[in-house]
Amino acid sequence: MSSLDPRVNRLHLKEGATGPVHTNSHLITWEVFHQEKRGRQHVHVGVVHASSPEMALIVAKEAFGRRGKTANLWVVKTEDVYTFQTEDEDMFETTPEKTFRDPADYKVRDRIEKFQKQQLQKV
Amino acid sequence: MYGNTHITEEEAKRLNVLDEDTEKLAAFEDRIARGEKIEPNDWMPKEYRRQLLRMIEQHAHSEIVGALPEGTWITRAPNFRRKLALIAKVQDEIGHGQLLYSAAETLGKTREQMLDDLLNGKSKYSNVFNYPALTWADVAVIGFLVDGAAIVNQVINSKGSYGPYCRALERICYEESFHLKQGHDNVVYLATGSPVQRTMLQDAINRWYRPLLHFFGPPDSNSQHSEKLMKWKVKLASNDDMRNQFLDQYVPKIWELGLTFPDPNLKKNDAGIWEFSDPDWDEFKRVISGDGPCNAERLAVRKHAEEAGRWVRNALMNKNEKYVTPLA
Amino acid sequence: MNNEALKDLLYKMADDALIIGHRNSEWTGIGPMLEEDLAFSSMAQDKIGHAKALYQILHEILGEPEPDKVAFLREENRFKCCQFVELPIGEYDFSLVRQFLFDHAEAVRYDMLTSSSFQPLALLAKKVKGEIKYHVMHADTFLKQLGTGNEESHARMQSALNYAMPYALGIFEKGPFENELIQQGVFAGEEAAKNKWLEKIAPVLQAAGLQLPEISDDKIIYGGRKGFHSEYLKPLLDEMCEVVRLDPVAEW
Repeated sequence: MSSLDPRVNRLHLKEGATGPVHTNSHLITWEVFHQEKRGRQHVHVGVVHASSPEMALIVAKEAFGRRGKTANLWVVKTEDVYTFQTEDEDMFETTPEKTFRDPADYKVRDRIEKFQKQQLQKV
Repeated sequence: MYGNTHITEEEAKRLNVLDEDTEKLAAFEDRIARGEKIEPNDWMPKEYRRQLLRMIEQHAHSEIVGALPEGTWITRAPNFRRKLALIAKVQDEIGHGQLLYSAAETLGKTREQMLDDLLNGKSKYSNVFNYPALTWADVAVIGFLVDGAAIVNQVINSKGSYGPYCRALERICYEESFHLKQGHDNVVYLATGSPVQRTMLQDAINRWYRPLLHFFGPPDSNSQHSEKLMKWKVKLASNDDMRNQFLDQYVPKIWELGLTFPDPNLKKNDAGIWEFSDPDWDEFKRVISGDGPCNAERLAVRKHAEEAGRWVRNALMNKNEKYVTPLA
Repeated sequence: MNNEALKDLLYKMADDALIIGHRNSEWTGIGPMLEEDLAFSSMAQDKIGHAKALYQILHEILGEPEPDKVAFLREENRFKCCQFVELPIGEYDFSLVRQFLFDHAEAVRYDMLTSSSFQPLALLAKKVKGEIKYHVMHADTFLKQLGTGNEESHARMQSALNYAMPYALGIFEKGPFENELIQQGVFAGEEAAKNKWLEKIAPVLQAAGLQLPEISDDKIIYGGRKGFHSEYLKPLLDEMCEVVRLDPVAEW
């Protein structure tokens, strides 16, 4: 097989080869967390396939850090990450209604002005 | 093909069959209608999972096969700037493949199974990469116009319903903007350069015109519709719409350099729709079924890469570790 | 400062970086697995970047033509790279072993140059320290994992190491200005670099379960520094310059 790509010609490809190539060669996945700058949170950006923490960090650097700024990276085996079940999403449903936890729920400007008006009237 | 859904008649029939759990289906469809994303552990109709997996997988295959036409010229880039840009660009294709395989993995198929299906012909990839990059100018045309077409596709699909795919596409779209700029830069230097450069560029444009029209798939009147895939936000725009968007964005940019497309009928009509000569959909069918100029080579190179790398992966693999499906 | 001595040093470093960067870039898209493909490609880009920076010093400070011209329009016998970097990429075992041996040599060399009396080089050495640290970390990690992986990977790595070593020692071939460079505090010399290199790679090879082959002096592949190259450099340069030669005066 002759190619336009000189690299391919140097590979000396065999013609007509078919059939499956992979047998049980899974490398496990690692979840990657990226910290853009010091002081910022680490943010989940995706996964890499690797067979050790060192390898995971090394490949994560170029998979997720080859552009822009990076201060550091974390890698965690996918099986070590724990989550709630999807069905349990309902546990979070009513939280936005708990406005007593929000600054916006506390408005006293009207009350202050009303009080000041009353004070003036008394005088 | 490329992030797009080309549905067979049999599949269209399957899509119209009612799914098992009408209550769950209603909740699922409501969520999508509200503009919320579906995440990996959600209940989803079998056909949604199937179509999505196929689409993301084919997109991933398109990226790594897409690395090969431009890779043809990696060793021959004519100066430092072009050399570094081209290596980085082809590297990005592999990176995008990596992101997309990972997104597809969340649906329950391993990367290795997907690569096997690429090599045994079961899974397809974008047809456009079955054409050869004959000259250096082809690198410029691919970098500008083929990537431009891909971006139209990706931007639209990034509004889809499946969380992992959307997240991957956001990252990809950001990197694609570099591809487009360096591609356009290359095109402009060739177009405004010496007669040798300009002639090489015009010739490349002439050869890539039809494959570019084919990129978005057959006209919607010829392909199987699926209302359901639109409802599920798996397919988000018609082939004709996307093709028109592409032509609208890129034809003027080629014309402004005094270059032409090999089609006397290419023009924008009064309704704002681009008209063009029939690009021979028979050729499209032939090439996508394996009879294109580079199909055999693309798969042979991918197969070689996988086989030559097998001893590496086997040596690295830790047999005590259990593979689990990625989370997101 | 002896300009010819400086040029000789810079050219050999730049040519080494350009050619090995070029070779390693050949793996882009056809690597043994996607993640490693990405890492290898980034390192190739780094090397090409180092070459460009070195050619830039040659141009700005020592009056040589600009980087694109010296890289793409120079004849084969004027290149000063060692023959090691010219060899084809072979299989991944060879490329990784070459990366390991060469990048450790570079790490040592640049480390020595951070205290060079030739300011531009000292500055560059400090700047690229981080990149080279990553290259070495990458090489060490993969060498160890593959050296101890399984029987096949161990055999392949040992065999690649045996093949590469005579060439790798050629990195430290002394140039004609060795003494000037040492006396003027520009660079402490190839002998010193080689010894530091051997100290650095020995423990990693041991951790990788690999034997450092003993190579007698007469088996070391010299010549590159004097413009005598392997059969591979000319075809490499012809390929690298193929498009430029279509129109050498055009702006690409």
